[in-house]
Amino acid sequence: MKRAAMKAASWGMLFFMGACVAPEVKTETVPVPDAGRTQVVLVHDPDGKVGEVTVRNRGGSQKINQAGQMAEAKDGTSAISTQALLAEGDINKVFGDALAALPKKPVTFILCFKNDSIELTEASQTMLSSVHAAIGDRQSQDISVIGHTDRTGEKSYNVALSRRRALKIKKILVSKSVNPSIIEVGYHGEADPLIKTPDGVAEPRNRRVEVTVR
Amino acid sequence: MKHFFGVLCLMLCLGANAVAASNEEAAIVKNFSGTAFIVRQQMTFPVKKSERIFSGDLLRTGRDGTLGIIFKDNTILSLGPRSELLIEEFHFEPSRGKLSIVTRMFKGTAAYVSGVIARLSPKSVRFETPSATIGIRGTKFLVKVEGGGEEE
Repeated sequence: MKRAAMKAASWGMLFFMGACVAPEVKTETVPVPDAGRTQVVLVHDPDGKVGEVTVRNRGGSQKINQAGQMAEAKDGTSAISTQALLAEGDINKVFGDALAALPKKPVTFILCFKNDSIELTEASQTMLSSVHAAIGDRQSQDISVIGHTDRTGEKSYNVALSRRRALKIKKILVSKSVNPSIIEVGYHGEADPLIKTPDGVAEPRNRRVEVTVR
Repeated sequence: MKHFFGVLCLMLCLGANAVAASNEEAAIVKNFSGTAFIVRQQMTFPVKKSERIFSGDLLRTGRDGTLGIIFKDNTILSLGPRSELLIEEFHFEPSRGKLSIVTRMFKGTAAYVSGVIARLSPKSVRFETPSATIGIRGTKFLVKVEGGGEEE
């Protein structure tokens, strides 16, 4: 009886250990001619712009700044080459799966408040429906709500006001059945203005809560 | 003996969790398909939706797998099948000037849209591969790294 119990316990233990100790992570060691070869392709940003990337190794560096342009590093020491522009079809052949898995860009809403108040302006009141649409659209599980004020009034008062503003927005979201545990609340008082002003200046655009939906 | 193993195992698990907890949270899983794994402190586990990702985590997809994540600074990254990428370093504390996002890709395909860190401090963004370092100025790009043959 005792033996059986011991046996059962040790099996349980083995299982437990199995769950703790996973197989070692392997990265490539098999020598293959092309192993490690890197191709980098620049494409349009979600908002249509094209930026710039620099690809470098011990052989030098190459800039690419046109959509469809590719830079290639054969290994860590050979010079980097650039190629003629790639067609969209060719890009999709190689990168289609990765592109399809790319999440939507997070979106930030700026909700403005009345002076020294936690009441939203009328315009921002109507923006709330877009916030909800974005949360539903992205099936978001990660929302940040950050409160701010302008630079009239005391700093410490403004910290408290920015906190009350952020909590007000959280309350509104939760009242429309957003899970409170996915909302991260922060407040910066007057320290992080949208529009920089000297101290004591009233600036409606800084009386705000920024809601980022990821 | 039995106790020894039990305690050892417990320590291993607790130890791993403690280390994971001290690393900065870097990103959240937005979507995945097929087989996709996270390797954290030498433990491999399947990805779940909304799973938090920490610096030090290795992301891996199988032959039918894809994975899409969003970093705390709004950098967006996705992996195609048979890919492996390490979140080597991530700090996002603009108020303290502490910014960095370093990813290291071992194989596969990826799409990358840079976020706030690239805007505030382009030097703090690096994407490493076995043969090159990619520097980024506010942009979207694709990377393919040739693997060293099939494993799995």
